[in-house]
Amino acid sequence: MTALHLHDRMFEVHPLDEHASESRLGRLDARAKLVGVLAFVVASALLTKPELVLASLAVAVTFAASSAIPLRHTLRLYLGALPFILLASLSLFLFVGLDNGVAMWARTSACVLALIVLASGTETFELFSGLRRLRVPAIITTLLMLTHKYIGLLTEELSRMTVARRARGFLGGRNLLDRYALKVISYTAGMVLVRSSERADRAYEGLKSRGFEKEMVGWRTKRIAAQETLFMASMLAASVVLLAVQMELVG
Amino acid sequence: MHIPDGLMDPLVAAAGWIEFLVVLGTAIFLSRSKIRERNLPRVAILSAGIFVAQMLNFPIGGGTTGHLIGAALFAVMVGPVLAVIGMTVVLLIQALMFGDGGVSALGLNALNMAIVAPLVGWGVYTLTDPIVNGQRRIGRGISVALAAWASVFVAAGACAGELLVSYAISGGDYGIAANVSVPAMLGYHAVIGIGEAAITVGLVSYLFIISPELFSAGEPGTAFKGPAKWFTSNTARATAVILIVFALMIPLYIIYASEGRDGLEQTMEEAGTGEGSPLLSAPFSYGETYLQVLLAGIVGFLVVCLAALTILRLLKSPTRRNDPG
Amino acid sequence: MRCLEIHDVGFSYKDGTIALKGVSLGLEDGEKVAIIGPNGAGKSTLLHLVAGFRMPFSGEVIISGRRLDSDNADTLRRDLGLLFQDPDDQIFMPTVEEDVAFGPRNLKLDDIDGRVARGLRSTGIEELAKRKPHRLSYGMKKRVALAGTMAMDPRVLLLDEPTSGLDPRARKDLIKLLRSMDRGMLIATHDIEAAAEIVDRAIVLDVEIVMEGTMRDLVMAREALEKVGLEVPPISKFFGVLDAMGYQVENLPVSMDQAVAELTKVIEREGKHMHAHIHEHDHAKEADHAHEHSRGHKGQSEAD
Repeated sequence: MTALHLHDRMFEVHPLDEHASESRLGRLDARAKLVGVLAFVVASALLTKPELVLASLAVAVTFAASSAIPLRHTLRLYLGALPFILLASLSLFLFVGLDNGVAMWARTSACVLALIVLASGTETFELFSGLRRLRVPAIITTLLMLTHKYIGLLTEELSRMTVARRARGFLGGRNLLDRYALKVISYTAGMVLVRSSERADRAYEGLKSRGFEKEMVGWRTKRIAAQETLFMASMLAASVVLLAVQMELVG
Repeated sequence: MHIPDGLMDPLVAAAGWIEFLVVLGTAIFLSRSKIRERNLPRVAILSAGIFVAQMLNFPIGGGTTGHLIGAALFAVMVGPVLAVIGMTVVLLIQALMFGDGGVSALGLNALNMAIVAPLVGWGVYTLTDPIVNGQRRIGRGISVALAAWASVFVAAGACAGELLVSYAISGGDYGIAANVSVPAMLGYHAVIGIGEAAITVGLVSYLFIISPELFSAGEPGTAFKGPAKWFTSNTARATAVILIVFALMIPLYIIYASEGRDGLEQTMEEAGTGEGSPLLSAPFSYGETYLQVLLAGIVGFLVVCLAALTILRLLKSPTRRNDPG
Repeated sequence: MRCLEIHDVGFSYKDGTIALKGVSLGLEDGEKVAIIGPNGAGKSTLLHLVAGFRMPFSGEVIISGRRLDSDNADTLRRDLGLLFQDPDDQIFMPTVEEDVAFGPRNLKLDDIDGRVARGLRSTGIEELAKRKPHRLSYGMKKRVALAGTMAMDPRVLLLDEPTSGLDPRARKDLIKLLRSMDRGMLIATHDIEAAAEIVDRAIVLDVEIVMEGTMRDLVMAREALEKVGLEVPPISKFFGVLDAMGYQVENLPVSMDQAVAELTKVIEREGKHMHAHIHEHDHAKEADHAHEHSRGHKGQSEAD
């Protein structure tokens, strides 16, 4: 199920980047965060025993709380994932039992929370740089970086158009049969895409005029230091412990 | 349709990742010539455009709003190969910037929204366009609408399949029971698909009037024409693409067939001794029936379409050449 | 060796429209030349062509002694600094300083830290180093793009409408900045006054070269300019009138600074007899107009 009208607020696509770089979490090397959080998420996804799942949720919540990310923002993103989570949890609860329903809810929530902290607690370009340094193919990371830049540009254009639209009295349609509304929305989206395409050739020349050849790379990169190692170690430790218990390797 | 982590059975998620990487790798390889530097910004900009277009609210009714997925639109604009890459980029950004869609689940999400959706969209469009277009001016609108609706519906079907297989083989630890997942996914997205179709048609016709050069199917500078000359090879390609989509679903069925039965028996044993007894009953065998029905339905739908189109094409052949379109 | 030579260059778009025809131009190291013309005259196309982005073209472009073709375009471009009209077309990184470093890093130049620092300083945007470009004003973005271009240490700058879209203050600052740079530059613009303040030499382009010469030559050729839809700067017009009234100036000023300089000279030359000077020569045809107005003020000072 797609996230619904909550997307409206996402016009500000970079609300957290400023806070991100200030916090302790934000200053960590992106690679460390990626490795730590991904390990935790994968491990958590493999848990089925209710006690373990709740434990992992506790870890995730602690993680979220200790980051500098405002609660409202975290909740807002969590709500976006909630429909699917609820559907799955409720259906398991109804058809299998309470344990399974709770486990499903806790497990998915833990993973989503961890991911939200990673996403919002890291400056996006840094995150993509980190991916590249973790050997994700250059074409993917370069596309990610470029797309990110243009999302910013286009969002601004879109909000300007939306404001202009509202100023002329368009408040959104009522239902799918509202053909006028659909037309206006199509027009807005169309303008965005046309402008997008017009930029494309100039963008290529812009890149080449700055000497671009193969891929986009960051300039100042961080190193793996004590904090990074500590972070990764704790996340990995938690993941390993949880997994070990799940697979009944340990008491 | 963004699935979070921890929802799907790990085996299904892993299979999803493998399939995703194989298809993405193939797409990147195939696009080597097209995506050489020159097209990099173009794909990035259009991906950004799709991403932003996805943020638009369109009203469904009753106060709720839905969103464009845009896979079919993307595919009609840049062709299947670049659309797969572009939609993957969009999904990656959604997961990594907003946590919208999981990372262990990324393989499956990409499979559904970045592979199945655009491929089905392109396939249906390419197959129907030459037929319907020759008829009337709104012909192209019809083929675009069909393509958009099908892209959403089939993707939802794939998702439903993954959910019910997860449920069955994990014995209720993961996934969603078939009798919920199938109607929910297919029903909801059948409606969403209508909106997607309407908006996509509106966009394509608008864009085609304003700047037809947008529809280059990946080749910059190629004008957008009905593929008269390449008709046969495009049809062949489109059919191949749709078959590929099916091929992608086969591993799912294999997993189900091999693991499902064991899972069934094991859970039936546990269910008797488990703590909270379920409030409702959903025998796991429903899963098998649903999966078969699902696959049969989709196969049937496409077979019927292909048959109808082939017949129409054979009938129209003589007139099509005279029709400027 | 001249840093840039353009011989008989021509270019047409895919639909057949001719964008440039028979354009020839030479640029010495450190020389500043303006390409003046109305919108659609091909100025932008010329700059992009020189930068190797419009192929194929007829004629020759020689950069640092080497002839431009599709194989060496990327290499030769290293000597050029193309500044786009829209700065968003060439700003890519999330912070200003990272964007300024982008060029040097791509070209694998040395001393990136130093280049960034110098680039920021030369454009006066040091305090913006950590800011995000997409939040900046248009004028500031133009400076960021310029800093990034300068950081690559190009031999010649190719500036596409550098003053367009700037508010008066930003425009003034940019003109001052460009004037102070000792680098060679080709400035494509329809802003004659800005060009006048920066360059010594210019060509007027409207697909073909309409005329060329010093800025002074250009502003004297009123008809030629008007034929391509350009106007002589107001300052020049004003002094043209003064000249006709008998206030001869040595050099027809094309900018405010020049105007003040010339006026000062005239005033010093004429001393306090400026008013009397008009009076005595009221038979001159050109002075009739002025005389008509001054008739009611005979005997009074018209010092202002």
